[in-house]
Amino acid sequence: MKTKTFPANYKNLGLISQFIVDIAVEAGFTPSDVYAIQTAVDEACSNIIDHAYGEENIGDIKIKVTQTDNKLQIILIDQGEPFKPDEIPEPDISSPLELRKERGLGIFFMRKLMDDVYFEFSETKGNILTLEKHKGS
Amino acid sequence: MELTVTEYSHCNILKITGRIDSYSAPQVKDVITKLIDDGHHNIIVDLQDVPYLSSSGILTFVNAQRKLKRENTGELVFVNVPDLIFSNFQLAGFDTIFDFHNDTASALGRF
Repeated sequence: MKTKTFPANYKNLGLISQFIVDIAVEAGFTPSDVYAIQTAVDEACSNIIDHAYGEENIGDIKIKVTQTDNKLQIILIDQGEPFKPDEIPEPDISSPLELRKERGLGIFFMRKLMDDVYFEFSETKGNILTLEKHKGS
Repeated sequence: MELTVTEYSHCNILKITGRIDSYSAPQVKDVITKLIDDGHHNIIVDLQDVPYLSSSGILTFVNAQRKLKRENTGELVFVNVPDLIFSNFQLAGFDTIFDFHNDTASALGRF
């Protein structure tokens, strides 16, 4: 397992992406899957800054990556406000341009691009987001 | 990230180099807003050297397009969009609100 902790700010998004991309490439994922994993993690971290912490440099994002033969599991932990994904409506991607809502596109990407996405909240640990990607999925 | 604007007679090309995420998207927004405020309403965005585009980046372009279409003054089109980035436009359902061109000559011809 590889673990790294980053201060939760926008400037670190590039470093976080590089950390994840290097692991996904080394694990043998296709370029398309690597991009999907990068997108899901980047959107998750942006949401942590925007919604869990509410602004930059309030806390950290701890990232734990576990690799098995066919799967990459990425766990993101923050100590921000409890995140309630069910309260964020899925965007209606077929609605006209003028009516499209902006909120929720990040979670939408996470759910579409990864095989499994779990949100948990623990009083002691904080928000725990688990993202999983299977090879060839 | 680097942003370069080249002015043509009927449009401007905005060439972006580097990843566009929540950190850099505001810079892109500022440049596009200035172009529109200065009366340059036909904008070609070249993403050839953009390795990653987040939802915040996509929404920056969507909001610019929304403004241009609402006021019916011009249009934002793309050129040289990498396949992986285009697939996220498709996933979000935003591939239908922009013209995507494979080369600069074709994009310039749009205007």
